[in-house]
Amino acid sequence: LPKRQSGVTFRKACELAFKRSIPPFFEPLGAKPFFLKNKEYVSMLQNINPFYSSLSLSALILFPLLGGLFVSFITESKIRTIRIVGLCTSFITFLYSLFFWLEFDNSTPKFQFVETIQWLPYSNINFVLGLDGISLFFVILTTFLVPICLLVGWSSIQKSKKEYIIAFLVLESLMIAVFCMLDLLLFYVFFESVLIPMFIIIGVWGSRQRKIQAAYQFFLYTLFGSLFMLLAILLIFFQTGTTDLQILLTTEFSERRQILLWIAFFASFAVKVPMVPVHIWLPEAHVEAPTAGSVILAGILLKLGTYGFLRFSIPMFPEATLYFTPFIYTLSVIAIIYTSLTTIRQIDLKKIIAYSSVAHMNFVTIGMFSLNMQGIEGSILLMLSHGLVSSALFLCVGALYDRHKTRLVRYYGGLAQTMPIFSVIFLFFTLANMSLPGTSSFIGEFLILVGAFQRNTLIATLAALGMILGAAYSLWLYNRVVFGNFQPNFINKFSDLNRREVFIFLPFILGVIWMGVYPEVFLESMHTSVSNLIQHGKFY
Amino acid sequence: MFRRNACFASILKERRLINKRLLDVHRKNKITMFDNDFIALLPEMFLINATILLLIYGVVYSTVHKVFEPLVRNVAWLGFSSILITLILLRGSPLTTANLCYNNLIIDNFTYFFKVGLLLSTACIILMSLQYFQQEALTAFESIVLMLMSTCSMLLMISAYDLIAMYLAIELQSLSFYVIAASKRNSEFSTEAGLKYFILGAFSSGILLFGCSMIYGFTGVTNLEELAKIFTAPYVLRPLSDSVMLNSADASWSGVFMGILFIAVGFLFKITAVPFHMWAPDVYEGSPTYVTAFFSIAPKIAIFANMLRVFIYSFYDPTWQQLFVFCSIASMVLGAFAALSQNKVKRLLAYSSIGHVGYLLIGFSCGTIEGIQSLLIGLFIYVLMTINIFAIVLALRKNRFKYISDLGALAKTNPILAITISITMFSYAGIPPLAGFCSKFYLFFAALGCGAYLLAFIGILTSVISCFYYIRFVKIMYFDTPKTWILYKPMDREKSILLGITLLGITFFFLNPSPLFLVTHQMALSLCI
Repeated sequence: LPKRQSGVTFRKACELAFKRSIPPFFEPLGAKPFFLKNKEYVSMLQNINPFYSSLSLSALILFPLLGGLFVSFITESKIRTIRIVGLCTSFITFLYSLFFWLEFDNSTPKFQFVETIQWLPYSNINFVLGLDGISLFFVILTTFLVPICLLVGWSSIQKSKKEYIIAFLVLESLMIAVFCMLDLLLFYVFFESVLIPMFIIIGVWGSRQRKIQAAYQFFLYTLFGSLFMLLAILLIFFQTGTTDLQILLTTEFSERRQILLWIAFFASFAVKVPMVPVHIWLPEAHVEAPTAGSVILAGILLKLGTYGFLRFSIPMFPEATLYFTPFIYTLSVIAIIYTSLTTIRQIDLKKIIAYSSVAHMNFVTIGMFSLNMQGIEGSILLMLSHGLVSSALFLCVGALYDRHKTRLVRYYGGLAQTMPIFSVIFLFFTLANMSLPGTSSFIGEFLILVGAFQRNTLIATLAALGMILGAAYSLWLYNRVVFGNFQPNFINKFSDLNRREVFIFLPFILGVIWMGVYPEVFLESMHTSVSNLIQHGKFY
Repeated sequence: MFRRNACFASILKERRLINKRLLDVHRKNKITMFDNDFIALLPEMFLINATILLLIYGVVYSTVHKVFEPLVRNVAWLGFSSILITLILLRGSPLTTANLCYNNLIIDNFTYFFKVGLLLSTACIILMSLQYFQQEALTAFESIVLMLMSTCSMLLMISAYDLIAMYLAIELQSLSFYVIAASKRNSEFSTEAGLKYFILGAFSSGILLFGCSMIYGFTGVTNLEELAKIFTAPYVLRPLSDSVMLNSADASWSGVFMGILFIAVGFLFKITAVPFHMWAPDVYEGSPTYVTAFFSIAPKIAIFANMLRVFIYSFYDPTWQQLFVFCSIASMVLGAFAALSQNKVKRLLAYSSIGHVGYLLIGFSCGTIEGIQSLLIGLFIYVLMTINIFAIVLALRKNRFKYISDLGALAKTNPILAITISITMFSYAGIPPLAGFCSKFYLFFAALGCGAYLLAFIGILTSVISCFYYIRFVKIMYFDTPKTWILYKPMDREKSILLGITLLGITFFFLNPSPLFLVTHQMALSLCI
């Protein structure tokens, strides 16, 4: 394993900077207050700075919720205040979540920042929160995307503006809770409760009448899948008497039971990923959701499925995982090729990106089930990268839709002449989407292919075919929208991106380049956890 | 038969001895047996007397002064306060566990919590019906008196410990119900509901009584404790005694079995389980709304208490289990599918309550302690949600809230109420983290625990299907463009407080469920041990 360095030094630098900023308070008393010993001085620092070391995951979960509660007491007419409060809440949550990354110890595969809150002590079910190298970045991705979503809806959301802010803040805390939860039953609870705000977001702020069907499909597909997971969880609870993941990881189920449970979990996660026969809800939901809804859907909700595989299915049922690996490979390869081909013939901008999401997510499952370091780390990295790239692409489409109220490709053309800034940004993310070297997706897909190649050359080859198809549809889409003839018949008013929109895109561009050029920053936090996962399942 | 009677004679002799010993103890303490009964039954007695006094008050007052409308509210408030006093008496009762009235009634933890639940929910229903009388200009103060009367009988039902006491209590309750179902005299639907309920209810009572008499005929006892002894005997005592007890190969066994079957059918009819549900949608739709609320809450509490006592405690035997498994599956499936095509709110709620009865029967047919506990948790949460939704149905009045599509503009005209409805509906559908999920999760857990995989599987399928119609409320309020704008009158303070409390209960139940789990565990234990 490569040794991690920069995280520690960065943290130390932060501490140093912080310590240096404190003494001026005590200047009259000398460099260090005389009445404090060295140890006490540090502990006092910890008290002054809430972020210093007492990082609490429950506070991270509660903060957006409290913000939402606070917003709900402001009258609708003070919409500017509401928006600023909402944005500040989500932004502070983002900053707070970054401190978890700073404090994160890369050298241990154990869960960190573990908190236990009693819930049903009598039945042995408790809130157990914790982070490890796998879940850390998903939390940060969540807190990163929510402020963006609020910014996106700044002027484009016209009805129920207050509820929009509340819905996203509630959604944020539920999603953070999903990624932190180390208790199976409560994981299920939060996994499902994400449905309610998302259902409302699609249904209320969606654009067309078809949104109702989309919201229903989204809701019922997911519910149907995950109720089987509930049965499986109850079965586990009945058999072992606990739902605490840390204890369950030390439990071994019989092979037959593992297969049964694995299928039940698969039914739930496959809908979320989405794997091929149950992916119908995704294009519908993406197309009908508002831009910010699509961003959350593509950025985070799709990751819930793959995260679930990685967190629960693979470590808890290792033998069943090996048993079903060919099955997953087959489904994923079918999904990659089929959805890539489908993408080529779509005419709706959002649908194109939605289908390409399906292809990418199935890339992720291939990497995950190659069950080696490169594959799994690549799949996590690709999830993160997809969270940035596809979200940014949805934002691009949203920017177009806000201006021209259409998403059909044939109405657009020649935007390069009228919207130069947009064209450049759109080009960047199109290239990132087809995983050009230097962007984050390249690292992810490369690692996945390396991992898959060790397992099964045929699968790796077929998956690589998906990359070519990806390049085909991405470039063709860009060609049709941005180049070609200017179409004054359909669209006669033009405005390029405004300052707010450019500022929304900037962090995405930075993130994509950072992950593409120096991915080690992200990978170093995963190494220990991922290798522990592989060791645990004896997959090597 | 002769031999068996000889055996029972020995049991009776034993009992007489125990009674004698008890009497001795009482004599030493200078307390007669009646004293204890009086102390223990004080809440029931108070409520009965209060009901009769209220009736006299109403009759006298309504004939002397010609003020009708305030009288109903007046009686309602008095009834409400007498229920609260009953609750206080119940809380302050010095006896916690006792067999009363020559073993005809029993009080223990199980009955105590059931009675508290019943009284609280009746109080809630009286509170929510206050405004209704005013708006409908309904003059029938008798309906409140009848509600109190049926509450008394339900209190007795909960603590019934003898088949005859049980039957008498059920009959008193049913008779009051037939009348309140038809209490809106100028409405055809209400009269129809009353008549339908009366004919079918009388029929089912007959079946119940027939079952009781068969049991008595073949065993010679009506007391539940004695029955419990007899039904445990074939499994426990057979090797020891020379088979004087019931034997499953015996011809009389099938008679007893038929008796159990008849009793079960009578009960299943009263809790509207499929296939004995036919009356429910019509009666629920036809009766005045507050009566519908009463019907879908209070009798379910009382009858489930009684059923648990009779079946789990007395007829402890797997033979009846299949019947309940079948009814559970049928109710869940019918509740899910039949509600899909309903347009009227009350009808839809009737089918949804049928579906919920199916879920509760999952816990019942398990027969384990977890099963009973899950049933109790499910019942509590069902009552909470039902009080909430009926308070809303009563609150939404232009002239009336009849069709689901009337909700169209609610999200714009009354956003808080719209959110309340959506949360309650999501809870009904069992979406976490709301209260409805907690009940479903524990029911399925109990089903898996006793190996009833089929029940759990079908429960999950039907809860996905039933999501369709629960979500339809949300869809109509938020997603559709409203066709009609209906402005509803503002609701009164009592209902808004009620709604607030139940909504908080539904939403935040998830945060601290352990008190309810502990209480229900205690109840289940006191029933089983």
